[in-house]
Amino acid sequence: MSQVKQTALPRNIAPRRMPWKLYMRRYGTLYLLLIVPIAFFLLFRYTPMSYILLAFKKNNILVPPWQVPWVKNNGFDWFIKAFKDRSFQTALYNTIFLNLLDLIVGMPMPIMMALLLNELAFPKYKRVTQTVLYLPHFLSWVIISGITLRLFGTHDGIINKLLGTEIPFVSSENNWRATYIFLGIWKECGWNTIIYLAALTGISPELYEAAEVDGASRWRKIWHITLPGIRSTIVVLLIMNLGHILGSEFDRPFTLSNKLVEGASKTISIFVYERGIMGQQYALSTAVGLFQSVVCVIFLLISNALAKKFGERGIW
Amino acid sequence: MKKILALVLALAMIATLGITSAFAEDDFVDGKFTTPHKITVEIFERPNDGNSDVTSNPFATYIKEGMLERYNVEVEFKPEGRWDEANDIPNLLADGKAADVSYTYNSGAVVSYASMIDANGNPGIIDLTPYLEQYKDQLGDLITLLGSEENLYYDQDPVTGATYMLEAIKPDLSRITAFIRKDWLDALGLAVPTTEEEFYNCLVAFRDNAEKLLGADASKMIPYSTSTDIGWRNDLLSISKVAEDISDEALFVYGYDDRHLLYPGYKEGIRVLNKWYNEGLVWKDFGEHTDSTDEDNLMKAGYVGAFMHNWDYPYRNGEDSIANNLKRNVGENAEYIPIDCFKNDAGITRKYVGSPVGSDRKIFLPSTNKEVLASLLYINFISSQDVITFLQTGKEGVNYELTPEGAYKNLGATGEWIMNSGMNIDYTMTLNGYHLGDATDATLALAYPGIEPEMITLAHEYGYSNYRIAKHFNVGVIESETEVGGSLTSKRDELLTKAVTASVEDFDKVYDQYMADYMSIGGEDIINERIEKLQEVYGITFEK
Repeated sequence: MSQVKQTALPRNIAPRRMPWKLYMRRYGTLYLLLIVPIAFFLLFRYTPMSYILLAFKKNNILVPPWQVPWVKNNGFDWFIKAFKDRSFQTALYNTIFLNLLDLIVGMPMPIMMALLLNELAFPKYKRVTQTVLYLPHFLSWVIISGITLRLFGTHDGIINKLLGTEIPFVSSENNWRATYIFLGIWKECGWNTIIYLAALTGISPELYEAAEVDGASRWRKIWHITLPGIRSTIVVLLIMNLGHILGSEFDRPFTLSNKLVEGASKTISIFVYERGIMGQQYALSTAVGLFQSVVCVIFLLISNALAKKFGERGIW
Repeated sequence: MKKILALVLALAMIATLGITSAFAEDDFVDGKFTTPHKITVEIFERPNDGNSDVTSNPFATYIKEGMLERYNVEVEFKPEGRWDEANDIPNLLADGKAADVSYTYNSGAVVSYASMIDANGNPGIIDLTPYLEQYKDQLGDLITLLGSEENLYYDQDPVTGATYMLEAIKPDLSRITAFIRKDWLDALGLAVPTTEEEFYNCLVAFRDNAEKLLGADASKMIPYSTSTDIGWRNDLLSISKVAEDISDEALFVYGYDDRHLLYPGYKEGIRVLNKWYNEGLVWKDFGEHTDSTDEDNLMKAGYVGAFMHNWDYPYRNGEDSIANNLKRNVGENAEYIPIDCFKNDAGITRKYVGSPVGSDRKIFLPSTNKEVLASLLYINFISSQDVITFLQTGKEGVNYELTPEGAYKNLGATGEWIMNSGMNIDYTMTLNGYHLGDATDATLALAYPGIEPEMITLAHEYGYSNYRIAKHFNVGVIESETEVGGSLTSKRDELLTKAVTASVEDFDKVYDQYMADYMSIGGEDIINERIEKLQEVYGITFEK
């Protein structure tokens, strides 16, 4: 090991050892170009973040938050209020539950779909199939919710009429969760295959040829070449999804919900909408948003560390 | 010497400038500005077919010209979507872009912003008390419309004395009426129901005779329909279980929810609906539907036997009304008639209706308003009877024709003279409902094309027969109410929908469990604060 270290890159290539002036002359333009995106992030991402302070202040948005007095309990009053609030507890539970279901059921689907598409022999058929699969992605949830009721209504829905049953797809909480997950997969599965299909093209055809020479079956090839070939992509996406475990979409649960299943469908985003926008509780909803972000960052860090431990590259 | 003179003159000039800007009303002489002033005014906009531009149609022009002539004030209308306003108003206020004269049904937003203090130490909404005191003499028309000078201060905080809102008047007390299919009653030889029991028997008869009434469509029979807004759509049945001798204080303490959810006894009305639901008398799928389109279509198609709704619900929307569609789809004799049959323990069809003052929209001036007097003059102008009469009736021969009895018969104008909102209620900011003196009732009866005027009069009457208006206890802002936002309303609908669709055995369990939720997320705090405030301000002790 120590030998390897000694025979590292020759000194003159290592940028650190390059005279500063020479380095800047060579790469200075790149740094100059970088100023624009950095300025963008500072101005539009970090400056607004100063308003996170509102989470610890009294509810007043007429003046900047640093001019507003702190709330009691060392500024943590809104957090305490939120956690004592039954509707927030339900929203938190629902958010985690629905996101976990999405992760467990929804994540393997595009991988399987990508593998299937990859195995298709006729390029034209493959292309048409792909396009058909992408299309639902472009429908908004508002439209899908309208279609959902026509399809899955307990008594008037087409599915129940065809089956001659009265299954409450959208009016019992557990069934609603299943419908919610199913619709999520239906809408996004095709679209999410894109990234896996891209990763699949990166696998060297020579590996498949070698496997063929060795007499490997189609299934063996998938298991020993294709899946390991896209493993790092899968891990990166898994980490990113875990980072969103407490994040919540608004339009999907909001439009698909109805009064019979609100116990399952009220997520944090709807809580924030009801309290923050409709009830002008800006400080409370900022606190909830901050909590969401902090938990997401923690999840991201943990999953990234785990990925590294298992020999993957992680996302940074 | 010249220098000194120049200096003195310059100083004098600066001083006068300072004085004129500090007392901008100096140019207000004999009830009119001598120099032109300019204000912006919010106006609701509705997405109906054929509507005209709310900022420039003949009604808008009439107001603009009138204000210019009467007060030398130039008015610019700022349109705001009627169905988005409750959500938009907070955003506009946050952005400092709310119109100088704004109105909203979201009084919570006004209270919230009044409690926020800006950089100059002023609240986000202008406190009108000092201005009302100072300019009372200029507001005669407004005071006449409100009924008394006292009503100017209807929303005045009893402790701080601040008034952040003015009330719009809702002269019409009529609220909710029950309707039933007359042709079905006739076909089955049933009398028009006059009690809850008779009503129930009608529903059962509809259910059991579906084949006779609907033929091949028998499976589509819905004896009674409702929506997830059960509080509104089942109000008459629910409040018939409220004791006749309920006190004014109890009505106040349990009066947070505008659907009467917290009134003692309310649960029993929902229990009845739950029983009906389980007997197959109520539309099975109401819980799955989030808007009214499907239910309206079922009524229009002739599948619905009875329902409760706004007193004019089946008759509104002209040719496209439920009543007119029903006639076209089913036959000339198919019709919904109003009934009044839900009696309380004293045998009275008691209705708990909102007071003419205090139960409609609120008018407020945001702190960005620099023309308080001109704004108040606008509110006064829009409240004067000649302006109201013109805006509510329109142009003779185009919007109406006068009947021999002196009523204004609606001609259903289209084009630029169309009224985007019925009775132009969006323009008559301080008024929601006909205000035409003796012609009011007759005009109302003629306002629904294709419907017998007698039917309108009856439905209207049933909507407020035996009414009781809860006494107004002005206790100022109730803090816990400003915190809950839309969450209690949403929880209420969930509670009622869940309770109605539960099995009969589970009814109590479900109702009590959701009610406990409702109480824990703010309901309890509101009741307790109302009790405390009642004690504080009025010295009345209320026992729960």
